[in-house]
Amino acid sequence: MKTRNVIAFAGMAVLLLVLLVLNLCIGSTSVPVGEVWHALFGSSADATASNVVLQLRLPRALAAVVLGGALALSGYLLQTFFHNPIAGPFILGVSSGAKLTVALAMVIAMSRALPMSSAAMVAAAFVGAMLSMGLVLLLSTVVHRMSVLIIGGVMIGYLCSALTEFIITFAADEEIVRLHTWSVGSFSGIRMSDVLVMTVVVALSFVGVLMLSKPMSAFRMGETYASSVGVNVKVFRVLLVLLSSVLAATVTAFAGPVSFVGVAVPHLVRSLLDSSEPRRVIPGCFLGGASFCLLCDLLARTMFAPTELSISTVTAVFGAPVVLWILVKNQKGRERA
Amino acid sequence: MNELLKTVDLSVGYDGTAVAGPFSFPIFKGEVLTLIGPNGAGKTTLLKTLAKQLAPVAGTVLLEEADLAVTKPIELAKRLAVVFSDALRPEQMTCREAVAVGRYPYTGRFGRLSDEDERIVDEAMEQVRVTELQDRPFTAISDGQRQRVVLARALCQQPEIILLDEPTTFLDIRWKAEFLEALKRLSEEQGKTVLMTLHEPELARLVSDRVACIRDGKLDRLGTPDEVFEGRYIAHLFGLEETLYDKWFGES
Repeated sequence: MKTRNVIAFAGMAVLLLVLLVLNLCIGSTSVPVGEVWHALFGSSADATASNVVLQLRLPRALAAVVLGGALALSGYLLQTFFHNPIAGPFILGVSSGAKLTVALAMVIAMSRALPMSSAAMVAAAFVGAMLSMGLVLLLSTVVHRMSVLIIGGVMIGYLCSALTEFIITFAADEEIVRLHTWSVGSFSGIRMSDVLVMTVVVALSFVGVLMLSKPMSAFRMGETYASSVGVNVKVFRVLLVLLSSVLAATVTAFAGPVSFVGVAVPHLVRSLLDSSEPRRVIPGCFLGGASFCLLCDLLARTMFAPTELSISTVTAVFGAPVVLWILVKNQKGRERA
Repeated sequence: MNELLKTVDLSVGYDGTAVAGPFSFPIFKGEVLTLIGPNGAGKTTLLKTLAKQLAPVAGTVLLEEADLAVTKPIELAKRLAVVFSDALRPEQMTCREAVAVGRYPYTGRFGRLSDEDERIVDEAMEQVRVTELQDRPFTAISDGQRQRVVLARALCQQPEIILLDEPTTFLDIRWKAEFLEALKRLSEEQGKTVLMTLHEPELARLVSDRVACIRDGKLDRLGTPDEVFEGRYIAHLFGLEETLYDKWFGES
């Protein structure tokens, strides 16, 4: 038990480190590891390489780490909330809701030539995430079958995406390129100041999630048992929704909607740890989500360089099969029962 | 005898509509009290209200002198534990973890178990004989085993009273006997109060100190098994024809 955890966490940490280095080295101009080291610690002689690493690749890689971890956590919280392993911010339309309000805010800000601070983007995304989440929760009071609720979430997602497309289509020409890249999901164009904002928000949320690990552990046995051992279920559920929405909103504000990470990573991490104990799964999800997004972003920008793929294209290729695997496994479990 | 739990003009139901009551009866410290009656009589609804899983439609539940409605959840969890049939089947959770959930009211902010907590978990598992299941996944054990694991979890709360909703329903005859024997021991040896609903009147008769009969949402009879089972009362309670009762359950 214990050794398995140590090996799993050490493995995930090493993987994260290796992927981080690869993300800094590989690209249109490849930078050797030694040069990356010099650039990071300010002793580089090669100004171009140093610029590429510090201005472009480092913020992008750090964003993939922070946002990837945030997405996986957001998914894990939603899975806890709904007692369902395929719930996630993208599937339930939370990401698309955030996308819609961010697009609206961006268009309004641009048309009035106002600067859009990254904090304002997060705030706009949070409003949208909460709106979609509210719709899903409203739906869940009427619809009790989880599969139907998830289809409901997918529909809310489509609706929000359609409205976003509508806004983008009628936005002024010069805004379209930027909006379009963002609305399909991408880690490109993220600045170091953005990284700072997202790190603060995600770090605070991460602490919040850790504080919930105790009730989350009891909640695994269902609401009746959780409340019977002293969990205030109402407050707990509100906190789950708020934290998962903040996390999903932060991701969407900076990188647009990113698919499947929230569903696939928590599942892979639980299987790897062979445990659903939140004290282990929460940090595991963060590490796993970070590595998953680093890998996907590396592939997105290098596979068909100079053309970049949207991040969701790559995450879907790896994530969707995991979701199918979960569905098949659950079906088998049900047939056995 | 001291009253531990007491219902005062208690009506129970859902969304403000009463399905049973009003009830006014005490539950004594250390006794095994069983609720019996036909399906739909309101036994489970009453039990859930006594466990504070449902708010009363009218009236109050007193835990000693304190109103259950204003008792803090954590404080209540240290005194009252439940074994209900609606446990989920969480993936990748061991039986030991499931039992340890019962330490929730006693552990700190992050739920880390102290040596003392681990010892109490060990003891609880030994008491209901599930120690050998501790590393098995909670999803991979039989219904009878699961029921005992859930009971061990309740014992970890070190409660004064345990409420159980039809705990023997999915058990075969051996596990029924073992489970009820364990409850009887808890009451006799440790002075725990046990309040449960049972499907089978014959079992209620054997295990209980007192039996409460609920019929059409009312407390129809409350007393020792001998008092309650006098004559053909059970036939009357369940609306069973007397000839059929004599054939299947009669004394001679």
